[in-house]
Amino acid sequence: MNATDRSRIKSPWILHFDTGSCNGCDIETWALLTPKYDIERFGMLNKANPKHADMLLVTGPVSMKVADRLRNLYNQMPEPRFVIAVGNCACTGAPFSDCYNVHGGIGKIIPVDIFVPGCAARPEAIIDGVVLGLKIWRQRAFAPRPKERPLPATESSEAAP
Amino acid sequence: MAVDWTQLTIQVLLVVLSPVAIGLLFGIDRKITAHMQNRVGPPIIQPFYDLIKLFGKRTMVMNNGQIVFAFACLFLQAAALALLASGGDLLIVFFVSGAGSVAFVLGAFSARSPYSYYGSQRELLQILAYEPVLLLVILLIGYDRGTFTVSRLDTNLLPVLPLALIALMAVLVIKLQKSPYDIATAHQEIVSGPYVEYSGPYLGITKLANWFEVAVIFGILTLFYWNENMALSIAGKVAIVAVALFATQVLDNATARLTRERMLRFTLPYGILLVALNMALIYLNRQGVF
Repeated sequence: MNATDRSRIKSPWILHFDTGSCNGCDIETWALLTPKYDIERFGMLNKANPKHADMLLVTGPVSMKVADRLRNLYNQMPEPRFVIAVGNCACTGAPFSDCYNVHGGIGKIIPVDIFVPGCAARPEAIIDGVVLGLKIWRQRAFAPRPKERPLPATESSEAAP
Repeated sequence: MAVDWTQLTIQVLLVVLSPVAIGLLFGIDRKITAHMQNRVGPPIIQPFYDLIKLFGKRTMVMNNGQIVFAFACLFLQAAALALLASGGDLLIVFFVSGAGSVAFVLGAFSARSPYSYYGSQRELLQILAYEPVLLLVILLIGYDRGTFTVSRLDTNLLPVLPLALIALMAVLVIKLQKSPYDIATAHQEIVSGPYVEYSGPYLGITKLANWFEVAVIFGILTLFYWNENMALSIAGKVAIVAVALFATQVLDNATARLTRERMLRFTLPYGILLVALNMALIYLNRQGVF
């Protein structure tokens, strides 16, 4: 493992995005920053900026309106990146999966690497998910380099605000 | 003119090792801040992990101007540090470092993004807040010593310029992007201000430029202590850096972010007042009042 791969594992910066969650998972995600869970000990920082982030934590089912924004955020994150679906809604859409205004899980919009189930997902489970993600990253570092994933196609135009 | 190879080696080592020292200093800073907040905190070499990771990311740029200004900023800040380390003119160090700050602002302005614009406007305001104070402190050093050449500042400035050192603390807080004056990079408020449109390797370059910038200001702080004894001199310089860093940490953890107006209203009058008082002290001392 070279220095770059080692550094990647040691410093995953997080972007948290709410695609229509009830805020249950959001509160649990924010709890990660508190002294009790202190994810900064893994080198993680909450960056609130897709261009600086390595990991995308998504909570909530993807509503029709937010799908483009989610895709936009994902496209703005430079490779290598990692997507974690936090909570049942983000994983499958859960109770909202067949609603008229909901796409379902975020897997329908962007490729997901880790699914963290739970309603709401416990902070411990989210940390587990992130650590599992780092483990996969470590395996990828040893494995021959896969091709970069193509950017998902945009459905409607992403006009600047 | 014969080249003094030993001195040259020391100077090159100073320029190369300064960012490493500043990286470690940031790591210690994050660790102590974490302990102050009852957390464990990241490892001390965390800033290096962050930097290497950023250099390993895929390049995404908004426009070519961004790249040019990022490199200009890095080059100018490194040049300022090199001038300081080679015992050059303190005023030139100040102006070159200032040009680096302006290059950074221009880089942020080159991307058409609201947050980037907000951030660079605020960064300009910060420059307006600390630059006069820093310049006046440097002028005061020149007034007291009769020279701006760093290599000839071989006296202990601490007893002569105590108030100027206090005035420099506000400058340090702004340069370190810490509360209450982390106005440009205000996280959770305007995301990360001028850094917002930079990503991957170019974000790394701007971060590295900031390390050099901080190295310059810490370098100016270390000028305040000097001793005949080399070991004692270095110990005193390290002590000044440690005390200054700890003071900014306490401020950072004890205060909330202030508004831009209050930053200007505080740093400019009080900074200039402190420098003026210090100048009066030197003058009275020369007249033999004390």
